Amino acid sequence: MAYHIPPNRGGRLDIINIPILKIEDFLIASIQVALYDMQAIQFKDAVLQKIYDSKAKGVIIDLTATDVLDSFVGRLISDIAAMARLMGTTVVITGLQPAVAITLVELGLELPGVTTALNLEKGIAKLRQITEKNADGNA
Amino acid sequence: MAMPKVINIQSDLDIVAARMAARDMAKAMGFGAIDQARIATAISELSRNIYLYAGEGTVTVSEVQQGIRKGLEVVCDDQGPGIEDISLVMTDGYTTSKGMGMGMPGARRLMDDFEIISIVGEGTKITCRKWKR
Repeated sequence: MAYHIPPNRGGRLDIINIPILKIEDFLIASIQVALYDMQAIQFKDAVLQKIYDSKAKGVIIDLTATDVLDSFVGRLISDIAAMARLMGTTVVITGLQPAVAITLVELGLELPGVTTALNLEKGIAKLRQITEKNADGNA
Repeated sequence: MAMPKVINIQSDLDIVAARMAARDMAKAMGFGAIDQARIATAISELSRNIYLYAGEGTVTVSEVQQGIRKGLEVVCDDQGPGIEDISLVMTDGYTTSKGMGMGMPGARRLMDDFEIISIVGEGTKITCRKWKR
C-alpha cells in the first residue's frame, strides 16, 4: 500500500489496544476512540491475524462510539471485510450512528459489500444466520 | 466569537487533532450533531490531503459572520506541489490510489461553500464554510 509512514515523534503512541474478544465462534471488536491512520492500519492487521489464529467464523466491528468515519477509515473497513471474506470469514459492522451514516453517503462512501446491522445484538443474529446458511451450503 | 484555531498538519496525529478542533468549535457554536459530523469529516479529508500530498501545512478553523448568519470557516493551506487539474481532483472516484477518490468532492458536498486556489509548484489553499441553519 502506497502510504508514507510519518516520522516517530516524541511521546507518540502508535500501538493501540483495541480488545478483540472471542465469543463462541465470533470475534467482537469495538472501536471506542478516534483512530490515527497508523492505528487503523494496525487494527486491520490485528483483526486479520486474530481471525486466522482463532478460526473465527464471523467478526463484528462495533462502531457505536465512533462519531467520525472518513474515507480513509471507510476504505479500511471495506478492506477488512474483503480480506476476511477471502479468508472465509464474514464481517458485520454494527452501531453506525445516524450522523455517521449520513456523512458516509454524502461523502460518496456507501461501503458496498459490507454487511451491517443496527446494533451488536442484531449483528450477532445476522452473523449466526449467515454462518449457519454457509454451513448448510457446505453440507 | 471564539478565537481562531490553527492546527499544524505534519502527521496523521494532526489529522485527528484538526477534526477534533473543528468539531469542538462547531459544537460550541451550536451546530447539530449531523453538521458536526459533516464538518469533522470534511476537515479529516482535507487535512489528510495536506499530509499525503504536501507533507505539511496548516488548517485554520474560525467563526465567521455574514449579515445575520453565522458560520464556521476552515482554511487549509500548504506549500505543496499544487493541483494541476482542479476539475479532475473534484471528480468522484478520481484517485491517486492513496484513497477512494472521495476526499475532495466528498468534502465539497459536506460543506456549503468550497473554494480552491492552487498554483503548481507553490501550493494549495482551500477555503470552506458551513453555515448555521
